[in-house]
Formats: sequence, structure tokens, C-alpha cells
Amino acid sequence: MSNYVSLSVRVFWSSAVLAKRALFSWLNPALWMMQLFFMSIFQIAFFVYVVKFAGGSTEADIAYVAIGNAISSVAYTAIFSVCNITGEEKQQGTLVEVLVTPANRFAMFVGRAMFQVFNGIATVFIALFYAWAVFGVDFSNTNWPALIAVIFIMTMAMVCLGLLLSSVGLYLRTSMIIANIFLFVGLLFSGVNFPVSKLPEVIQPFAYVFPLTYGTDAARAAVDGSSILQIGDLLMDMVISGGLALIVGFMIFKWFENLSRKKGTMDKF
Amino acid sequence: MPRIRAVTSSFRHQFLQFVAEPQWLIPNVILPFMITMVALIMFSGQQGNFVLYAVLGGGMMSMWGNTLYSSGWSIGSDRFNGTLEQILVTPSKLVWIIAGRSVWNALVGILNGVLIFVIAVSVYDADLTIRDPMLFFIAFFVTLLSLSMLGMLFCSAFVLTRQASVLTNGLEYPIYVGTGTMFPIAILPWWTNPLSLSLGPTWGIDAIRYAALDNYDGFSTGYWGDVGIMLALSFFYLAVAFVLFGVVEKKVRVDGSFVRY
Repeated sequence: MSNYVSLSVRVFWSSAVLAKRALFSWLNPALWMMQLFFMSIFQIAFFVYVVKFAGGSTEADIAYVAIGNAISSVAYTAIFSVCNITGEEKQQGTLVEVLVTPANRFAMFVGRAMFQVFNGIATVFIALFYAWAVFGVDFSNTNWPALIAVIFIMTMAMVCLGLLLSSVGLYLRTSMIIANIFLFVGLLFSGVNFPVSKLPEVIQPFAYVFPLTYGTDAARAAVDGSSILQIGDLLMDMVISGGLALIVGFMIFKWFENLSRKKGTMDKF
Repeated sequence: MPRIRAVTSSFRHQFLQFVAEPQWLIPNVILPFMITMVALIMFSGQQGNFVLYAVLGGGMMSMWGNTLYSSGWSIGSDRFNGTLEQILVTPSKLVWIIAGRSVWNALVGILNGVLIFVIAVSVYDADLTIRDPMLFFIAFFVTLLSLSMLGMLFCSAFVLTRQASVLTNGLEYPIYVGTGTMFPIAILPWWTNPLSLSLGPTWGIDAIRYAALDNYDGFSTGYWGDVGIMLALSFFYLAVAFVLFGVVEKKVRVDGSFVRY
């Protein structure tokens, strides 16, 4: 048993390390820094100017949109990068080699996404810095332990959602399409730019499938001074939605892996 | 004549690739679609031309998204498929081959723009009465031309990098902000205005608004002034793209770095 656990931990760690190395052998560090520092500021700027043009020039309106978009910037790493993990393996012709190993699938599945947790947390903190420094959002009442907890739990939950999408990508010819759709879906459904209550009633339950919806609400509450206990329900909702996404994602991954073994279509591209 | 043949052949090739995998339309159109829907909800309850403003902006964004992704992938897909060397060793210059692709991509851009209009009308029951349809279509096509030429300019730079997809993702929002697709650039900080005005699509969206909106108070140049400046900028982009393609083509031949992936 202990041997099984230590092997799984080793697979998890080597997958995490390999994912980080692969990112930097593939992506120029300067470009990675550009992604980290510049993607979010333009997204926040765009929606802040839209809300200003729409007549919402009060500090509260701008803070609502700036914080929402800062939090949603996690999608670039947690959704887009994680979702493309299986697609990239397929594209590079390494999927078969990875899946013929006897390594623990769950450890490998989760390990590959771990670097994006740190990447996502850094992205959100940088975006929140812009919200304060460029767009004048007031953080003086912020309950920092609560905000840090929100960012950490939300990023983990979003990475789990990314893994769910990535497992679907195992079946598809390319995961890029699904990654692009879910990268931006939060802008509309997750209360990033307006409250979920403004969506048509039929769609509103769908919004609460995404951890980001709870994340944006919880982050705004933390910035307004709510403590961890006060936003405990939202944190728990994020844990549940992320956990469910991980479990369902892994089941789908195993299902498609078995299917592709039976049909001999593992790297059909 | 051989140049025209190269352009038409690469146009046909790009069309066939699109028909083989039309799913690639989705990444180009998804962000503009989401943003338009968000803007329509944010603008709801406002008096005036806000709906049309949002839809025109969305159409413009989808055309830009298509241009950007297509120019980014124009070289990237050849590099990935291992067909880039064959293209380079043909007697036709790379720029003519890219030009043919850009023309097809511009046509797909129209499809994207129309898609946004159709969704706005069918889902949001938006009133999209255009003040002067003829002027609107002139501005629309000239803007498309401008976007296409800007795409060629970017494409020349994308020849040098295997990471064009990262750059294309990073260039979407800056252009949406800089060109004022969803709001007038007057509300941006003053120091950003020179940059905005150096972009053809900024003048394009202003001309489109002049043609579409009643009592629109845009740039002092007026509709025809906007179109003229946009055309001048577009041909400037094209000239620079030609020079850059020449420089880049020579560089990658000397370095032997063309298909480095």
C-alpha cells in the first residue's frame, strides 16, 4: 500500500515538474511574462470603459467590473492551458507513449495541471493589482485572509473544471475549440460584469455550475470586508463544484481512454 | 500574371482548408459573441443607439478576431504541418501566397460579422435600422480591407516566431480597447489617442457609425474623411508588410530558421 502511495506521489510530482518544463521549453519566458502581466489589464480596461460608456461611472460600478474581470482572468491558465493538455499530447504525438505507461492515471491527470494553479494565482493577484493601481478600486476594507482563500480555492476549482474539459478533449480531434469556448463563457454566465440575476431565468441555474460564479461573488464580498466565515458557504460551493468537476472529469478521461484503446483511435488526429 | 495565379491558388487552398475544418470559425467568433451579449445586457435599459453600438462593435470585433487568428495561423499551421519549406521554395514570393489567404480570411470575416447581426436580431430582437445602407456597406468593406492589410502586417512578424498563437491571444483585447469598438475613444486617456488613431479600424468603426447611427457625433473628419484616412493607413500597412515579408524571407533563408518549431 505504502509503495503504491509513494509511486503515485512520484508520478504526481514528475508530471507537475514535466508540465512546467514543457511549458518553458515551448513558450519563451518573455512571452509567458507578457501573458502574465498584460492579458488581464486589457480585459479589465475594456469592460471598465464599456461600463463607463453605459453610464455606470460610480466607483461601485467600476469596482464591480474591475474585480469581476480580475478574478475571471484565472480562466486563461486554469481553463485554456489545462484544457489543452490532452490536445497538445495528441498534437505532438506523445499521447500513446503517455497512456501506455502503467503510471497511476489520477496522479498523472492532476499532476499535469498543478503548475497552472500557481500560474493562475499569480495571474489573479497581478490583475487585482491593476484593479487597484490603474482603475482605482478601493481595497482599504479588504479582508486579506478571506481574499487569499477565495483566490486559492477558486483557482483549484477552476483547474478542476479545466481538467474536466481536458478529458473531453481526449475524445475530440482538437481541444482548442472547447478551450476557447469555455475560456470566455464565464464573461457572460458567471457574474463577472453584471449580476447573474440579469441573465434570463432559464439560464441562471447554468451559471452556478461554474466555480467562477461563486468566486466572483466571494471575492467582491472579501474586498468589502467579509471574513472567511461569512463567505464560508461560497467557499464550500466552490470546493463542491471543483470536486465534482474533478471526479466527473477523471471518469470521462478513463472512459475515453478505454474507448480509444478498444477502437485503436487513441491518437487519431 | 504568375502573381495573380499564386494569389488565386492560395485563396482556393485556404477555402478548401476552411471547408475541411469549419470548426475553426468558433475560436475566432466566440469572444466577440460573448462580449456582444455582455454589452447588450450591460446597455439594457439605456436610451439611444446603444444596441446598435454594441452590435456594430461586436461585428467589428469578430472581423478583427478572424483576421488576427487567421494571420497568426497562416504561417503557424504550415510550420506545424511541415509544408512551410515547400511554400518558400516555390518561385512565388511568400507575400503573394499570404495575400490570397488574407482575401479568403476577409471574406470569412464578413460571415462572422453577419453572424453577430443575426444573433442580435433573432435572440435580442434588436432594432438594427441602418441610417444609410449604401454608405454602411462601403464603410464595412473598406474596414474589412483595412483589417485584412493589418493582418498581413502582423503575419509578416508571425513568420519569425513559433509562438504566434500566444501573440494572437494577447492582441485581441488591446485592439478592442485601442480602436474603441464598443465605446468612443474619447473616453480613453488622452495619451492613448495617437496610438488609436494610427489604427485603420479606429477610423473604420467611426465611418460605420456615421453611416448607421442617427445624429452620430464622431471624428471631425466626417464619413468620407474617415474612409480616406483608413484607406491611406491600409495601403501604408500593405507597403510595410511587403517590405517586412522581403526582409523576413531573406532572414529566415540566411539563418535557416524558417521551420524551427
